[in-house]
Amino acid sequence: MKTSIAKRVLAVAAAGLISVSAVAQDKASSLDQLLKMVQSSKISESAEHKKREADFRRQKANQASLLSQAENTRTSEEARSAALEKKYEEQELLVQQKRQQLDERLGSLKELFGHLTSTAGDLRANLDGSLVSAQYPGRAEFLDQLIDKMNSATKLPTIQEIERLWYELQRETVESGKVVKFNSTVILPDGEQAQQEVVRVGNFNVVSNGKYLEMNDSLKLAELIRQPDGHYQKMASNLQNATSGFTAFGVDPTGPTGGSYLKAMINSPSIVERWHQGDKVGYIITAVGVFAILLAVWRLIVLSGVNSKVNAQLRSSTPNTNNPLGRVLAVAEENKGVDGETLELKMEEAVLKERPAIESGLNLLKIIAMVAPLLGLLGTVTGMIVTFQAITIFGAGDPKAMAGGISSALVTTVLGLCVAIPTVLLHTVVNGRAKRILHILDEQSAGIVAENAERK
Amino acid sequence: MHALNDAWAAVVAFMASGGPVLLLIAGLTFFMWTLIFERFFYFKSGLKRDVQGAVDTWEARPERKSWGAHQIRYALVSRVSEKIDSNLDMIQTCVALAPLFGLLGTVWGMINVFEVLAITGGGDAKQMASGVSMATIPTMAGMVTALSGVFANTYITRTAQRETQLLEDHLTMDH
Repeated sequence: MKTSIAKRVLAVAAAGLISVSAVAQDKASSLDQLLKMVQSSKISESAEHKKREADFRRQKANQASLLSQAENTRTSEEARSAALEKKYEEQELLVQQKRQQLDERLGSLKELFGHLTSTAGDLRANLDGSLVSAQYPGRAEFLDQLIDKMNSATKLPTIQEIERLWYELQRETVESGKVVKFNSTVILPDGEQAQQEVVRVGNFNVVSNGKYLEMNDSLKLAELIRQPDGHYQKMASNLQNATSGFTAFGVDPTGPTGGSYLKAMINSPSIVERWHQGDKVGYIITAVGVFAILLAVWRLIVLSGVNSKVNAQLRSSTPNTNNPLGRVLAVAEENKGVDGETLELKMEEAVLKERPAIESGLNLLKIIAMVAPLLGLLGTVTGMIVTFQAITIFGAGDPKAMAGGISSALVTTVLGLCVAIPTVLLHTVVNGRAKRILHILDEQSAGIVAENAERK
Repeated sequence: MHALNDAWAAVVAFMASGGPVLLLIAGLTFFMWTLIFERFFYFKSGLKRDVQGAVDTWEARPERKSWGAHQIRYALVSRVSEKIDSNLDMIQTCVALAPLFGLLGTVWGMINVFEVLAITGGGDAKQMASGVSMATIPTMAGMVTALSGVFANTYITRTAQRETQLLEDHLTMDH
C-alpha cells in the first residue's frame, strides 16, 4: 500500500517537471534574445495576416456563387415537391379506389376471415393449456402467423393455411379423446432433462414411469415435485405397461383447464410437515405421547411377568416369594397357629404392601390420557391467537394468511387426540392386568390359604 | 350378487368420503362389537357351566360355617365374577373412545378444509366439500358407534352384576 502511494506521488511529481520544462522552452534566457524574438514574431505575424486577408477576399467571391447555387437548388426542389405532392394525392385516390375494389371483391370473404380469425384465436388460447401441445409442438406458431396474415391488409391466407386450421381444430378434438404413448423430453425434479416414454391420457394427464407430469409455460413436460399417493402412481405405471383392455387410472378432472388439482397438491404439506406445523406445543405433545407409550409397554411387560408367576403360584401349593401372591401366602404360612381374624388382618397388610408395585405408573398413564387433549386444546388456542394477531396486522381480507394459521392450530388438536386415544387403550389393557392380580390378592388369597389348610 | 356389489361399492364410496379416520372407527366398532358378542355368548353358554361348577364345589363341602369355608366361598365367587367381568372394561373404553375418534376425524377434515382455503383462497366450494364430508362423517360414525355401544354396555354390565349377585345367593351358608 505504502509503496503504491509513493509511486503515485513520484509520477505526479514527474508530470509537473515535464510541463514546467515545456513552458521554459519559449522563454528567453536574456533580454537581447527576447528583443530578437519579438522582432522575428512581428515579421512572421504580418506575413500571416496578409495571407489571411487574401484568402478571405477570394472566399467572399466564392460564397456569393455558392449562395446563388443553393437558391437555385431550393427552387428546383420546391417545384419537385409540389409535383410529388400532386402525384401522392392522385395515387391516394387510386389506393382508395383499389381498396374499395378489394372490399367489393372480397365481399362475403371478409366475413369469413373474421370468423377464421376468431376461431384461430380461440384455438390458440386452447392450445396454450392443452397437453396435446406436448406431443405436437409448433402448432401455436402456425396459428400466430395465420392470425397476423388475416389481420394485415396486404396479405391473404392461402387455401392450404385455411385447411390446416380446420385440420388443427379437428386434431385437437380427436387427440383429446386418445390415450397415447410417445417419446418426449421430461424435466426431472433435479433439473435434468431426460428423453422418456410418456403416456398422455386425453387432455387430462401425462404420466411417465408411474410419475405424474405437468406442462410448464414453455410447453415442456416436467415431473411434479410432489406426486399423488402410491396407489395412483401404481395405476399410472399399470397404464403405461398395459397393451389392451381397460386399466383403472386416477385422472385429474381439472386437466383441460390447467390441472389445478395436481398443482394444489404440491402446496399441500406432507404428514411430517404437518407435524412441524404444530410447533412447540406439538413437540411437547409428541414427547408426552412417546413417554406414555414407553411407560405403558414397560408396565405391560412387567405385569405380564408378574401375572405368569402368579399363575404358576396358583397351581403350586408351596409359597414362592418371587411373586406377590406367593409373598402373601408366605405370611399366612408363617402365622399358621393364629385365629382367622388375625390371619386375615395380617394378610390384608401383606396385600397392601404389594399394591404400590403393581399399580405404579397406572395413574400417570391416566393423567397423560386426560392431559394430552388439553395440551392439544392449548396448541389450538395459541394458534388461534397467532391467527388473530395476523388479522389485526393484515386485516381479514386475505383468507390464505388466516387459513395457514388455523390449519396449524388444528394440528395440535389432532396430535393431542392421537396421543390420548392409544394411551387410553393402553391404560385399559395395563389396568386390566393389574386389576386381575390385585383381584387374586384381595379376594382369593385367603380362600387359597383355607383350601391349602383343608387339603393337608 | 349384483345388489351385493352395489352395497359394497356404496360402502367403499362412504369410506373414501369419510377419510382415513373412518377406517379407524370401523376397526374400533368391529373390535367393540366382537367383545360385546363374546360376552353375550358367554352369558348364554359358558356362564351356566361356571356357576354350576362353583355351586357344586360349594355344595360338595362337608361344612359351610367356619372361617375357612367363608374365605373359600369368597374365592369361588371372585373367580367366577372375574370371568363374568372380563372385557367389560375394554368395552367401556371403546365406548368412550368412539367420540374421541369422531373428534379426530372432525379436526382432520377441518385441516383439509383450511388447506384448500389456503391454496384456493376460498373460491372453490367444491374442493372444500370433500374436507367437510371428511369432517362430518367420522363424527357421525363415532356417535353411532358410541350410542350402539352404550346400550349394549349397559345391558352387559347389568347382566354381569345380576349374575354375580345370583351366584352369591346360590352359595348358601348354613349359619
